[in-house]
Amino acid sequence: MKWLFAVLAVFLTGCVATVPKKDLSAFQAAAPRSILVIPSVNKTLDVDAPNYLLSTLTVPLAEKGYYVFPVHTTKTVLEQEGFYEGEQIHAQPPESLAKMFGADSVLYVTIQRWDAKYAFLTTVVTVEFDYRIVNKDGTELWATKQRMQYQPDNSNNSGPPLAQLLAAAINAAVTRAAPNYMPLARQANAQVFLLGPSAIPNGPYKPVQ
Amino acid sequence: MKNLLILPIALSLAACAPKTLYQWGGYEDMLYRGYKEPEKMDVMRTNLEMHIQKLQQSGQKVPPGMNSELATLYLQTGDKAKARSYYSAEKDAWPESRVLMEALITNLDRTTKGNQQ
Repeated sequence: MKWLFAVLAVFLTGCVATVPKKDLSAFQAAAPRSILVIPSVNKTLDVDAPNYLLSTLTVPLAEKGYYVFPVHTTKTVLEQEGFYEGEQIHAQPPESLAKMFGADSVLYVTIQRWDAKYAFLTTVVTVEFDYRIVNKDGTELWATKQRMQYQPDNSNNSGPPLAQLLAAAINAAVTRAAPNYMPLARQANAQVFLLGPSAIPNGPYKPVQ
Repeated sequence: MKNLLILPIALSLAACAPKTLYQWGGYEDMLYRGYKEPEKMDVMRTNLEMHIQKLQQSGQKVPPGMNSELATLYLQTGDKAKARSYYSAEKDAWPESRVLMEALITNLDRTTKGNQQ
């Protein structure tokens, strides 16, 4: 019978987070139904990063049970109001943004890193974000940060050492020429909103299990 | 013996298996492509509309924001009638969107009137 418990234990730990959870009492007390996702502040050199990141934020939050304001519509409305840059938008009082859109809460994301750096025969791709959810009354409900990294795997090369070196260098060059940030951005979002110790409470549209 | 082993595995897999609330129809990817190459927004408009029709025909809920995104894409091509009807659909489906959708519809009606005069 012992082996049965062992099997169960292994599978159960696969689902349960072992790190202590964040204090979510403010979030639970405010119980927002909707989240306004605004364009992010960009601290990196990649001017496309905010738009690309914007495309990844809706699905995890909506799947968590929240009404997520349509990000492209929101961005367009803000542009009509003269707000083109994340810095400008983040500088507005959260209360005014929430009121303007009729939102219960606002998600602020700052992009700290979105880069591909060459490091001895490999290219390391990194994204790093600061996340904050602020209530419509201006109270911060939740904040966290996440970094994700990726480097191409050179370990399965075979052949003479020089050929391996060349293959690794080509691999690194290809990654640097067209780094793929999107899976990393999606992993970061899934980690902070859904999986990690910072995971937010379920929203009103998530069925009770 | 074999069945005993399979049961807990099956149970735990079912518990962990991700169940999605909505069918997104590639929304994230279409939006990413649209931001990467703005001419791809046309592809997004066409595909989103087909996806929404498919969901409605099969009686499934259209995900939050999707009707509104389609409305905005129509607005950006100048089709105000379609924009208005999809903003209304968003408002009817999601009460949380009411303030924004009403503002967008009011604004549309005002500019449409302005053009007619």
